[in-house]
Amino acid sequence: MAKTVEELRAEYATKEKILEVKDLVIKFSLRGDVLTAIREASLDLYKGESLCIVGESGSGKSVLTKSFMGMLDANGWVESGSILYEGQDLAKYKTEREWLRIRGKEIAMVFQDPMTALNPLRTVGRQIQEAVELHQGLRGRPAKEAVYELLEQVGIDDPVRRYKQYPFEFSGGMRQRVVIAIALACKPKILICDEPTTALDVSIQAQILELLTQMQKAYNLTLIYITHDLGVVAHVADRVAVMYAGEIVEVGLAEEIFYNPKHPYTINLLSSLPQLGVKGQDLFAIRGTPPSLFKEIQGDAFAPRNPMALKIDFLHRPPYFEVSPTHKAKTWLLDPRAPKVELPEAIRLLQSKWGDDVVADA
Amino acid sequence: MSKALHRAADHIDETLFTFARYDEEAAERTGYSDYSYWRSTWRVFLKNRMAVALLILLGTLLAFTFIQPYLPNQKPPTMIHFHPDTGLPLRNVPPGDEFIFGTNAIGQDLWSRLWSGTRTSLFIGFVVGVAEALIGITIGSLWGYVRWLERPFTELYNVLDNIPNTVIMVLMTYVLKPSVSTLIIAMCITGWLPMARLIRNLVMIIRDREYNLASRALGTPTHRIITKNILPYLISVIMMRIALSIPIAIGSEVFLTYIGLGLPLDTPSLGNLVNEGRRLMMAPSMRYQLIFPAVMVSIITVSFYVLGNAFADASDPRNHV
Amino acid sequence: MLRYIVQRFFQSLLTLFVVVTVVFILMRFMPIEGFFGPNYDKLDPEQQQAILRSMGLLDPLHIQLKNFYLQLLRGDLGTSTIFRPNVPVWEIIAPKIPYSLFLGWASLTLSITIGFTLGVFMARYKSTFLDRLGTLYIVIINAVPSAVYYLFLQLYGKDLLNLPMLFDPDNPKSWILPIISMALGGIAGNAMWMRRYMVDELNKDYIRLARAKGMRNSAIMFKHVMRNAMIPMVHGIPTSILLVMVGSLYIESLYSIPGMGGLLIQAIQRQDTPLVQALVLIFSAFSIFGLFMGDLLMAALDPRIKLGAKEGSR
Repeated sequence: MAKTVEELRAEYATKEKILEVKDLVIKFSLRGDVLTAIREASLDLYKGESLCIVGESGSGKSVLTKSFMGMLDANGWVESGSILYEGQDLAKYKTEREWLRIRGKEIAMVFQDPMTALNPLRTVGRQIQEAVELHQGLRGRPAKEAVYELLEQVGIDDPVRRYKQYPFEFSGGMRQRVVIAIALACKPKILICDEPTTALDVSIQAQILELLTQMQKAYNLTLIYITHDLGVVAHVADRVAVMYAGEIVEVGLAEEIFYNPKHPYTINLLSSLPQLGVKGQDLFAIRGTPPSLFKEIQGDAFAPRNPMALKIDFLHRPPYFEVSPTHKAKTWLLDPRAPKVELPEAIRLLQSKWGDDVVADA
Repeated sequence: MSKALHRAADHIDETLFTFARYDEEAAERTGYSDYSYWRSTWRVFLKNRMAVALLILLGTLLAFTFIQPYLPNQKPPTMIHFHPDTGLPLRNVPPGDEFIFGTNAIGQDLWSRLWSGTRTSLFIGFVVGVAEALIGITIGSLWGYVRWLERPFTELYNVLDNIPNTVIMVLMTYVLKPSVSTLIIAMCITGWLPMARLIRNLVMIIRDREYNLASRALGTPTHRIITKNILPYLISVIMMRIALSIPIAIGSEVFLTYIGLGLPLDTPSLGNLVNEGRRLMMAPSMRYQLIFPAVMVSIITVSFYVLGNAFADASDPRNHV
Repeated sequence: MLRYIVQRFFQSLLTLFVVVTVVFILMRFMPIEGFFGPNYDKLDPEQQQAILRSMGLLDPLHIQLKNFYLQLLRGDLGTSTIFRPNVPVWEIIAPKIPYSLFLGWASLTLSITIGFTLGVFMARYKSTFLDRLGTLYIVIINAVPSAVYYLFLQLYGKDLLNLPMLFDPDNPKSWILPIISMALGGIAGNAMWMRRYMVDELNKDYIRLARAKGMRNSAIMFKHVMRNAMIPMVHGIPTSILLVMVGSLYIESLYSIPGMGGLLIQAIQRQDTPLVQALVLIFSAFSIFGLFMGDLLMAALDPRIKLGAKEGSR
């Protein structure tokens, strides 16, 4: 069943892009200071795939995806770059009218905390029905029927009774199902899931991921997951984009990122996974903290925390180096002039599972 | 071998492609770790220009209030001035060279009465603010800390909070003899309630908030939790409440004076002065006797109110950058 | 829900009981003259003692208290001593009520309609000129003692607009200033809280979800934000009633309105203890009842209270 990496690459070569982000810069003003949250991020999204965006808190994952829907906070703006969707540049959108063509209809979102994502004072049914009325053109009885159907689809029994209940009468997992139902009611093409399982009990997490995967098939959705849980990534991702300090430092097929990481940040991130720890040795941890986004960052943002940083990392920003047609990373280590680096033991173990053909390729 | 997408970097000096020395301190420095609570509070406060202007105004005013009696050529606030030739009291003399703000209906110097009244009212305000804080902290800590007191205190709070405090204040001043301490007692009798509730919530936070539990679990000594996690918040809460209870206290004093329950007439206070001015306000030429104290009351109350709120904003870590 | 109402009802009763007791005990600290008429000085000590005994004032405190409760339960509020000697207090108060109610309701209507609207617009157009102007108004009204700005309103209302300075039941023009004065505080309070609750709501996650599903901002404002912010506001309405009442103490006296607030001030100035006692009790009962109604109203509107949710409402 499992496809080889080569087959996947071949598949991607023919896939159609649904969303293209190019050199996007997003800034915020905060009490007189300007903060650069996204620094020239570029990302392609292919029709029907599941893309995971990983990175620590504050790396700009949420901001990036919010900008696809015009949902940046009022003090944020797109400084430069483009977001192409069906021939339109979303980065140029300004008015609410323009965004209403996108929000829900084309791109919908599932939020992190289902406990707060629903209006506590309106019935669950009414909140789903709002989306049905907006995007399916139904009113009254048929709209209600559609809500019942959606509730059943996301695995909520007894929809007629549940329709009339308030969010506080639902458990966390159930509320997340409601939030998913609201997103589906919009009939979007792209669904952004912003840490959809972080706030849930571990036992519920797998169910929600399962539900999302099912719905992806049923509704022909393109999914973007935002997460810092690499377990989730392994579960659902076709491709992975790694974010650090507002840029996408490495992007590739899930297999490529997991077994053949190239950017020092990705390497460090994977090394700090407890599952990959070597018995008897201290667990690896990335030192330091992410850079302040208020300051101009020179060179590679990760350099100060990078034990294998090169001198050039502090001076010049690395370009993307292509590792394979589907895999690229922004690090000077991939430059032919760079010295060989000693990889952590955990990563060497992963690479050995990766197979000879690909290692040679690097 | 890998292919660079951008060729622009090709002419970079080869020697740069060697390992840099890893500096752990530099790694730590990149983040926000130079955060200091009070410095950030102060910085946010300074950004509020209105508040800073009022702080300077209020500071100058307070300083002047206290040095005014020691300045040369000041007249005693309760002395009645007589005309040197006729021997008649100098009633309602308009503002001029001799009496900067004029005299009142019985010939007392309004300028010195105004500053003396400001002192009295500020004194009442500060004492009420501090007393409310003390009572509030004591009761609030007991309420939050001693578990079996939790229920009775909550009931007591609900009962007291339901009584309109103007009614209590009026009643207390009606029963007791009019004096500065009567006013202070009457104002404190329900004024401590919000403070007590704040402190009680704080104590609950100390006890139960997860980051404090975490600190404790990590072996942070209690005194460090108190000084680092709780004290900053506590101090800002207290300062804010005191700042806000001063305008309330001054307002109550003016109100109580009007209904005849204020200070005796021989004690100048802002309430007494406003009230004296009110009796003459229909005569435009004597309106200065109302306007001077009214302006003083307004400057003081608005300044404290704005400062209290600005400080509350500034001390909220969510507003720190 | 029923349990909540019953619990809240008994809490209100308890509060009222405490207030009655405290008021009574405090009044025993008053000089004894307050219980006599104007002829106190003319009586010799023996007569004084006899009258005191007949009034029950020499009994031990707990007996006096018991009698006081029984008297109140019969609906008897006592007899005036100085203001109108030997007239039952109730007969003095009753004719005053319509004036207080009329002016109170008028200003309450103003303070709710204008205050809520102002708050909604301030939240909707946050950080604009309108918001700043509204904030300035709120700061001034909240900070400057009402006793001061009422005076200037009266003064300049007469000077500039030629409005009557004293209340006249037959001249509607004379109602304008007192009603506006009474409403100013309520408008500021309502606008401030409405704005604050709406801004709070606007920052909540469910607003993001509503936007993400493609709702218009205006629809979000009306269907979600305003509805949710209304619930705590409804709870505050009784407090506005309170504010109006307190304002009326001062304003009724300032404009010589023959209402209950002005009466209390006269009673205090004339040291008519039974009258003060009765009025204080009536004012307290009003406000306790008002808060109780506010809680009930809120419980009826908030499903979390109605259905007995475990978690807190915030």
